Amino acid sequence: MAQKSFRQALNEALHFEMGRDPRVIMMGEDLTGGAGANGVKDAWGGPFGVTRGLLDAFGPERIRDTPISEAAFIGAAAGAALTGLRPIAEIMFVDFAGVCLDQIMNQAAKFRYMFGGRAKTPLVIRATYGAGSRSGSQHTQALYPIFTHIPGLKVVIPSTPYDAKGLLLQAIRDDDPVIFLEHKMLYDTVGEVPDGAYTIPFGEARVARDGKDVLIVAIGRMVQIAEEAARKLAAEGISACIIDPRTTSPLDEDTLLEFTETIGRVVIVDEANPRCSVAADISALLADKCFDALKAPIKLVTAPHAPVPYAPNLEDAYIPSADAVAKAATSIIKR
Amino acid sequence: MPSIEAVTVPKWGMTMTEGKITQWMVGEGDLVTRGQEILEIETTKVTNVVEAAASGTLRRIVLTEGTTAPVGALAGVIADEVATPEEIDAFIESYADRLGGGDEGEGGAAVPRTIVVDGGAINLLEAGPQSDETVVLLHGFGGDLSTWLFNQSALAESMRVVAIDLPGHGASSPIAGGDIFPKIVSAVEAAVEAVAPGKLHLIAHSFGGAVAAAIAANRPSRVASLTLIAPIGLSRQISREFLVDFVAAERRRPLHSVLERLFADPSKITSDMVEGTLRFKRLEGVPEALSAIADTIADDHGGQVQSIGGQLAALTCPVTILWGERDAIVPVPQQADLPANARLRIIPGIGHMPQMEASSAVNEAILENLQRG
Repeated sequence: MAQKSFRQALNEALHFEMGRDPRVIMMGEDLTGGAGANGVKDAWGGPFGVTRGLLDAFGPERIRDTPISEAAFIGAAAGAALTGLRPIAEIMFVDFAGVCLDQIMNQAAKFRYMFGGRAKTPLVIRATYGAGSRSGSQHTQALYPIFTHIPGLKVVIPSTPYDAKGLLLQAIRDDDPVIFLEHKMLYDTVGEVPDGAYTIPFGEARVARDGKDVLIVAIGRMVQIAEEAARKLAAEGISACIIDPRTTSPLDEDTLLEFTETIGRVVIVDEANPRCSVAADISALLADKCFDALKAPIKLVTAPHAPVPYAPNLEDAYIPSADAVAKAATSIIKR
Repeated sequence: MPSIEAVTVPKWGMTMTEGKITQWMVGEGDLVTRGQEILEIETTKVTNVVEAAASGTLRRIVLTEGTTAPVGALAGVIADEVATPEEIDAFIESYADRLGGGDEGEGGAAVPRTIVVDGGAINLLEAGPQSDETVVLLHGFGGDLSTWLFNQSALAESMRVVAIDLPGHGASSPIAGGDIFPKIVSAVEAAVEAVAPGKLHLIAHSFGGAVAAAIAANRPSRVASLTLIAPIGLSRQISREFLVDFVAAERRRPLHSVLERLFADPSKITSDMVEGTLRFKRLEGVPEALSAIADTIADDHGGQVQSIGGQLAALTCPVTILWGERDAIVPVPQQADLPANARLRIIPGIGHMPQMEASSAVNEAILENLQRG
């Protein structure tokens, strides 16, 4: 099977679905250009190279470059979704959701409920997230807890190229607004991706690794960190199971509960800030539903409650490390 | 002269590069006999046991539980009482040199390739030295070539072995429309024609058994031997429920419980196996193709659609049939249902997947049948 990058996997999904369904359109900043492109069309394939070739294939009517105004184009995309199009809007950095939160939170997320189920909002908002790229605190946050908190939104955070393609196809075909978050540090990761089309259902966690001593729940890029930690733990004779929820809303509670019941020791790794986070939420769920099965406290390995620092050494220290995950796992095994 | 034997991390399947020692079933100083299960190893696909290759004392455990090591690494040493500790140390040391001293590719993963035939793309995995005769492995319904994880390398020691993904399975393209069974047979025949010009030893599991029987009937002069593992088309009944539930299962948890019915010991199922199965089931066109194949296997009342007894009876090459005693999918046939030229061997305590659950016994029986042919 072909090896493809995370970026290629997303690009394939966009090409496939725009070819299959004429209702799919894209809106966003620099989709067809890129920083410093000086008007050369499709110079960079978008700011991160994900939209390369779409302009040529589908034309400027369907691939729409917008002014630098998230409030305007996210609002327009939500409206277009109501009229029957299936827009994919790109927010270059999820941090900029701050200027269009009303359109997301009070409009797109509410339509189905406020209109008694008679309105559908098949909108996908793609955005990059995450630290590690030296982009400063306004371009590096992991803001999925905010969206996960809002009913009416679905929140998707792929961790592998295979999942990126299947989840994006599912997101575009979904009739509800979907926040689709792509970690900047994952774009160049490579994995097996079939050439054909496939969808991965939402609310279906992936068991990334079997193990019996400790369960590591990891989100997005943190799955990689958890895998590195699991290799370190294996060298010490500790067998770690890794679960990637893939979507935080809906959340695959059944899989998390099943594995917590059998393993009894849990570490949750999350790049988001810890207060009111997905890690805290999953921890509360497990403590509530699996209390008797737990053999040790649930450990959370997260970023600190601070903005992402710009100094490279501090940014590195901010991101949960494989060593920290392995240490957390060891601490609850040796009790 | 002391006898010193290595216990190594085996190569289960072409894609295995390393294994993790999960359990030693014997301790240092214990007596072991040849064939005894002594060590449990976990791969990314599955957990299985290693049998002692020689009788003697387990003198040294080199890889402790929890260690992950490359294929071919020395896990332990079996020796007789005559061997001195110094001789065993020297053996271990020489082994370290052997592993580090080149022989690249030993632990490397072989890569499947795709060929295009009339019926679409066929994915296959080749192993073993060039030989005039070729062993061809055909998996069952809903499986793929990884079903031969514990068999292909063992069979490939002296002969070329090709494992094929059937159409609509693994990484082969699905077949649509009516007449799906003959289309599958001709696509597989075309693939075999393209990669295996000489005589064929056909080894097939379950649904693949009917495909292999059809190929053998179409070209009897080409087939040197036939080994079928729990094939369809011999006993009268089959679990239609399994087929229907397998096609319907779109998520991990339901699929896991369906796959459990295949094994006498469900702990053999790994998350990778479930995820791998889901990955091909999610591909567009595959669920429809699987449904169509299911209809060529079982009717609405769980009766078998295919019948291969007549085809087998007409063959002059050796025919061996292996069956797990506790098969819950295709029950062990009555002797009266079997053609007289077929040897039936029942493997006790095993379900519908003997090639995975009792790989040593299956490999031995296959090799024996190959030699007859």
